[in-house]
Amino acid sequence: MAAPDPVETFRHESQELLEQLEQALLDLEHRQGDMELIDSAFRALHTIKGSGAMFGFDAVAAFTHHVENAFDEVRKGKLVASSELVALALAAKDQLRILLERPAEADAAAQAAILAGFHAIVQGGAAAPANVIAPAADGAAAQGWRISIRLARNAMAMGTNPLLLLDELRALGPARVTALADDVPPLEELDPTDCHIAWQVELGAPCTRAAVEEVFMFVIDEMTLELTPLGAAAPPPEATATAPPPTPAATPTAPTQATKSAPPGDSVRVPAGKLDELMDRVGELVIAQSRLRQVAGASHDVQLRAVAEEIERLSLELRDTTMGIRTVPIGQLFGRFRRLVHDLCRDLGKEVELVMQGEETELDKTVIERLNDPLVHLIRNALDHGLERPEERGEKPRRGRLLLSARHAGAQVRVSIREDGRGLDRARIRARAEERGLVAPEQVLTDQEVFQLIFEPGFSTAATVTNLSGRGVGMDVVKRTIEALRGSIEVSSTPGAGTDVTLCLPLTLAIIDGLLVRVGEGRYVIPLTAVEECVELDADAEAGGARCNFLNLRGSLIPFLRLNEVFGTPRDPEKLKKAVIVSAGDQRVGLVVDQVIGDHQTVIKSLSKLHADVEMFSGATILGDGSVALILDIAPLVAFGQAHEERLMTAA
Amino acid sequence: MSKTILTVDDSASLRQMVRMTLTGAGYGVVEAEDGVDGLAKANARTVDMVVTDLNMPRMNGLGLITELRKLPAYRGVPILFLTTESDAGIKAQAKAAGATGWITKPFQQEQLLTVVRKVLG
Amino acid sequence: MSTPETAQTLRVVTIDLQGERFALETRHVREILDPGPTTLVPNAPAFLDRLINVRGRVVPLADLRLKLGLAPSDTTIDTRVIVLEVPLEDEAVTVAVLADKVHEVREIALVGMTQTPRFGLRCRPDYVRCIGQLGDDFVIVLDPGPIFAQGRAPDPVPATHS
Repeated sequence: MAAPDPVETFRHESQELLEQLEQALLDLEHRQGDMELIDSAFRALHTIKGSGAMFGFDAVAAFTHHVENAFDEVRKGKLVASSELVALALAAKDQLRILLERPAEADAAAQAAILAGFHAIVQGGAAAPANVIAPAADGAAAQGWRISIRLARNAMAMGTNPLLLLDELRALGPARVTALADDVPPLEELDPTDCHIAWQVELGAPCTRAAVEEVFMFVIDEMTLELTPLGAAAPPPEATATAPPPTPAATPTAPTQATKSAPPGDSVRVPAGKLDELMDRVGELVIAQSRLRQVAGASHDVQLRAVAEEIERLSLELRDTTMGIRTVPIGQLFGRFRRLVHDLCRDLGKEVELVMQGEETELDKTVIERLNDPLVHLIRNALDHGLERPEERGEKPRRGRLLLSARHAGAQVRVSIREDGRGLDRARIRARAEERGLVAPEQVLTDQEVFQLIFEPGFSTAATVTNLSGRGVGMDVVKRTIEALRGSIEVSSTPGAGTDVTLCLPLTLAIIDGLLVRVGEGRYVIPLTAVEECVELDADAEAGGARCNFLNLRGSLIPFLRLNEVFGTPRDPEKLKKAVIVSAGDQRVGLVVDQVIGDHQTVIKSLSKLHADVEMFSGATILGDGSVALILDIAPLVAFGQAHEERLMTAA
Repeated sequence: MSKTILTVDDSASLRQMVRMTLTGAGYGVVEAEDGVDGLAKANARTVDMVVTDLNMPRMNGLGLITELRKLPAYRGVPILFLTTESDAGIKAQAKAAGATGWITKPFQQEQLLTVVRKVLG
Repeated sequence: MSTPETAQTLRVVTIDLQGERFALETRHVREILDPGPTTLVPNAPAFLDRLINVRGRVVPLADLRLKLGLAPSDTTIDTRVIVLEVPLEDEAVTVAVLADKVHEVREIALVGMTQTPRFGLRCRPDYVRCIGQLGDDFVIVLDPGPIFAQGRAPDPVPATHS
């Protein structure tokens, strides 16, 4: 119901326009003179200026005006989109972002410097401020006017309604209108859409000439308008405003070619919160539907069953559609990194070709947003530590290659950052980890295990700490963020040939496939992605009774946790316990439950803030009968199990 | 019957502002986000008036005006364009393409209505 | 300091907790429900270790009795669940509380703290928003903000008598 606020819309829009501008500018560096890009940059600036002025962003509009001018010159071929101009425009773009988002923080000196830069570049072009001299308005008001009007023949076809013009004159004062039909051709020659009639109006109002002319403001250049003051003794011959013949030079330019970008199509801007609400409702619908299925399944009513099936199909389709709405192409995120790579290369003295693949791959919008910081860090790391300087690259091409790619793999999306740099130094990582006490000297580790060490808190292998590696998030934060998204990180690396870091992420955050289990009276959901297998616990293992024990699974010992003990709930008399083997990274643990109920597709509800300090649960879900089940958070459970294992080992 | 106005602009905020102003004054509004879209919408149903931006991707305002004037149904339909330029060259080009009038940005809601009423009645 | 809050009134819901009368401001109250199935949250604080489904939302269910130093009591035919919206760190958090009985919604006159007779106040003073007059009696208007605030000091041990 709330009316959308155009100012808010403008803010969103200007973000997108700034991104469009940046893309165009970055591309211009490689494709100088590409008209499509120049147009794209110009249009973005033009809209920011125009709409900004509409919605009170005067400082934005004023500043943009100068930048736009420069690009207009480029567009007209009077100026070259030199790298100097592009760099200046990028700076201007940053300044615009500040003016839009945090105007109070805008640095006036920096802004003046940018503008001075533009002036210096544009100078020589027709940049002199056009001091428009106001038309010598005939301010003297006469007693009235005799006005003769003859419109261009095609005026009506062009949308001008002469009757409205006459009405406007009447609104100025008492008017006597005479139609002059002299020029009306014989009927057989008459084109009804042409304007053949002229008018003579005697306006008895003391208004200015300008007021009369303003009535004809849109047509005055193509018409004959004669104004004679009434009541003047000897009316001097009035100058006539005669339309110049339509200039052939002024033919409209051909419509600009469609740009490469996909046609925008119809789209609607919706606040993310509303989408979340929709997702919630759909989730509830799916839950209610599964209840209906249970009821219908128990019934012999054929009609009820048919309807239940129909509802099932519809709600699942609705769920898929809704999930589709929440997803956006990852290209939106990748696009932001081109600037980052550009700036980093300049700062680090590296040469890199940035290649992107699978930009159209769609991911949940929430996931995309949260991926920004980790990816920034990984890219920074790749450029800073991974890639060599041009002179250090030996037989490889001087110019390094950074590949950002995304692709679907089952219910996951794999986002990878790969460079062809020096590769991870296994020995140095290992040494560092031992130095930090992260691994014991005699511990045998696989490559994957060694590489994962770089994500440990406080780990950094850079021999020299550059000004880049210090800022922002650390690799441990990258890992935490990805795990919070229920994703994982894979690293592979070949010495001298480069490193590949792949983030494996769930398609959507809102729904997971889970395994529903019972522990005592409580039902819990285990995310299916973490489940390796379910095994029956034999009586021997069960008899142990210690809080943690070991399970012999095809020769390897796996610690197991009795969930009823972990949760402090009463022990179930159920004899045949099951162990659900779950894994997090390379570590596995068995979770002992009383019953495995089955697969359950689950709409995740986050836990209340009041339960923020309750570990071991990542959220909750509502079951078919309307009751709430908690979703197990695997990482802390596994860590808990491993800690027990170690304690038992040392005790032994 | 209320009159319907097609507003064509690649700026969502501007479209929104135009729509709010016009619907508030009792006009029906159809929105399009560039010339191609505008031409399609204008073809789908004949509107009583068109208000278009000039600088747009795919097909700009001049292109749209030229195309609209080729359509028999759009002979005589008022077409206003929005422009930030005070320079007469653009206006002359748009007029030559078949525009009826223009509104200079930035404008207030009241100014928009004044011009719309002037041209549409 | 001791200016009595004269003539001030407050719109409240009066409830019973373990035989004692308390009140909650209506501005915090979203709805009042019959008790339904609850889900245990293992390892959560005892007074806040349950979840309920309120129209598709997962909402914590608190037992204020444990927070106010009262003993827990069994669910009876009068037991109700009151859904509250509590401002916590600039954010409204939805939480449900159990009441042994819900009496009524009414305006009550506030009483200055100094006039308050020596209450058998077992609960911490910061849980008390103010004291209201209810006929000849007084009633404690609870302040849910501090009750649900995180990082709190330990609460009194529940009384063992019933």
